[in-house]
Amino acid sequence: MKFCIRNPQKRAPRLGILKNIEGRTNIEIETPVVLLHTQGGHIPHVTHEVFKLVSKEPQILQIPLVSMHNFQETMEYYNGTISEFIGNKDSLTCLTLQDPSNLTKQGHHVKEKVPIWTKNGKVLYDSEMYMNIVESFKPDMYYLLSDGDTNKTSAPKRISKAVEHTIIFNNQCLERHKKSNILKKAFVMAPIAGGYCLKSREKCIQAILKNTNELGGFLIDGLHNNGPEVEFLPFEEVRDVVEYVIKSVPQEKLCSVQGCWNPVNVLKLVQQGIDMFDTSYCRILTERSAAMIFPIDNTEEADSFEINLRQSKYVDDFTPIMFSCQCLACSKYSRGYIHHLLTVQELLAPVLIMIHNIHHYLRFFKKIRECIQNNTLSDLENRISEQYKNHQEKVLSAKTEEEPRRTYPRNDVGDVE
Amino acid sequence: MTSFSAKHKPLPLVFNVLSECRTTKARVGKMVLPHGQVDTPVFMPVGTQGTLKGMLPEQLEKLGLQIMLANTYHLGTRPGPDVLKKAGGLHKFMNWNGALLTDSGGFQMVSLLKLAEITEEGVKFQSLNQQKAEVMLTPEHSIEIQNAIGADIIMQTTRWLDRCLKSHANPETQSIFPIVQGTLYEDLRVISANDHIKRDVNGYAIGGLSGGESKDDFWKVVHLCTDILPKDKPRYLMGVGFAVDLVVCCALGVDMFDCVFPTRTARFGCALIMTGQVNLKKKKYAKDFNPIDKDCTCNTCQKYTRAYLHGVVTSYPIACHLLTEHNLAFQLRLMKMIRDSIHENTFPKFVADFMLNLHPDKDYPTWIQNSLKAVNIELL
Repeated sequence: MKFCIRNPQKRAPRLGILKNIEGRTNIEIETPVVLLHTQGGHIPHVTHEVFKLVSKEPQILQIPLVSMHNFQETMEYYNGTISEFIGNKDSLTCLTLQDPSNLTKQGHHVKEKVPIWTKNGKVLYDSEMYMNIVESFKPDMYYLLSDGDTNKTSAPKRISKAVEHTIIFNNQCLERHKKSNILKKAFVMAPIAGGYCLKSREKCIQAILKNTNELGGFLIDGLHNNGPEVEFLPFEEVRDVVEYVIKSVPQEKLCSVQGCWNPVNVLKLVQQGIDMFDTSYCRILTERSAAMIFPIDNTEEADSFEINLRQSKYVDDFTPIMFSCQCLACSKYSRGYIHHLLTVQELLAPVLIMIHNIHHYLRFFKKIRECIQNNTLSDLENRISEQYKNHQEKVLSAKTEEEPRRTYPRNDVGDVE
Repeated sequence: MTSFSAKHKPLPLVFNVLSECRTTKARVGKMVLPHGQVDTPVFMPVGTQGTLKGMLPEQLEKLGLQIMLANTYHLGTRPGPDVLKKAGGLHKFMNWNGALLTDSGGFQMVSLLKLAEITEEGVKFQSLNQQKAEVMLTPEHSIEIQNAIGADIIMQTTRWLDRCLKSHANPETQSIFPIVQGTLYEDLRVISANDHIKRDVNGYAIGGLSGGESKDDFWKVVHLCTDILPKDKPRYLMGVGFAVDLVVCCALGVDMFDCVFPTRTARFGCALIMTGQVNLKKKKYAKDFNPIDKDCTCNTCQKYTRAYLHGVVTSYPIACHLLTEHNLAFQLRLMKMIRDSIHENTFPKFVADFMLNLHPDKDYPTWIQNSLKAVNIELL
């Protein structure tokens, strides 16, 4: 797999293509791209078959190792790739360590090991164990192991440990990668640690740059500890670090971030030169019964940024989530029906909401690429940022007034007969 | 061929027996309903609240599902008849274009007995809904809800049947099936069945079974009822859906079945196969790279291994979806095998092979031996 920039004369925003994909030479993926966030090999609530009703375009599945750790032994005995194993051989896969939709527990570090929190508790990964799993999964893309446990409030000591660990992991994993026949064609990306300290970021980048030839891209890691709170991270907080890293890494390489960035921050990150995101934001919304309705095309109008289908006003609203949306949920099902499914806790409610949210978010990224091409990205930003601001104020004030009724995350299985 | 677009007065149900087994009471039929045709014997999965356990109607159509069940009591509580009327009926509300059948709410009278007070007037439920303190389900109310839902076939029990027939608003689009009651008392069953066949209805249900009675008692009641009920109308055995029960009761002449079991057991990680169940939670499947059932053509069996399913069951909702799809495909495949063998006049052999497959040591339970003997099937 190769990453090529289509408008190299300009550092940001930029358009790129992932191509020459091993075994899929007919497929090209355009950037800025959004990876489909999965848990246990599936987009939450949406089976691969149902996703085919949402989009038939080629996609990259983001596979968080933490949600697949229980398959570690199984995969040693399995001959195929992870995309075959999870029942979706047509998709590309990108292996990452943590699940961006779930808050990652902080601390619990051990020398040369990084903790992940599986459903059966803490598991410590070192470079060897990690690369074993990468070899057995055979993903199309993967990140080297890293210590991303930093955020805005991290103490200098934690930051320097994170950098120190990440440099060691990067070197150990790359050594293994170079020797691996199985991973010869895999697209490797190096996470850059260092929290909000530019000096630490510099140190991490300098160490990694020695291996530039082996790398397809980078990840700006350690900006947050994942989970829903990333949605409300003020962009001003991350601006300097993102700008610094993008400026410091070779510009022909792909540059990615992970997490539930809201659409306005996605646009700002794109304008800084980020090429790759994920759909964990769709899960965050779906779990709180919210559907995105922010306008994407300039012909679209919306009276709010998102709607919460749990609200009783939707009980006899037989209109779709969004009139201008062509997705399966909007073309066949009403707000009232989804509201009913939510009140009786039926499994189909999050299925329909997720179908719409994923469809809307994919459409948003398509629009971003179109706007970069036409030089109209700021129009798109103007269209949605005002609405987002009002929305965010509403959500944040509601949050402080009353605690949410449901704890997050919810993976329960209803049974009502 | 009978068609619904007939120029004359439309009928809500036309039933034709297409073939009869020469040995047993089994038959293959075609039921034409306002929302499509149904091949019988048929298994109807249960979509209690106007949805079939996470499955999209698009997926159900692809599976070949022709009819499903919805529950009057639940839908009467939420979203309630007013919303259903405004939505234009349950078909439109849930985007299901196939046939629908609603129960009377009588089963919830039993399953929610602790919350119910039964009088001559009706059943008073303490609502599960926080907004209303109590819900009174009278026969008239039950019919009103069922009219609002708009199912092709609706149910009502003996005592209240005449009150229901009288208040039924849509006799041209919805058929009421009376329910033969009488628990295990043969004399009561005879009275109930004889009482119903006098009335002008389009089909009959056999109720009050599958409530934990012994199998030796169960089959005799079914046998007795199908002997009395007229041959030219469909017979629906309520609440029955285990594979072995379906096979036996088809031999006894039943045409329609419903049960929550296949979809419920899927959510607990169990997949159905011809010889029983695969409990995918078991560790032994962690390295089993076979499909649930190599003879099954469902999407789950085409794409997923037991090892993968083992790792996701009970962790992620998508595992419920995958197993529900398989279990529905299993029920539909079993019913098709039954219909095909009746058509080809090989049903007795099919039954004997099925039972031998289930009991390779030939240690057949007595109820299976006796019930099949009653319809002239010799086990292998």
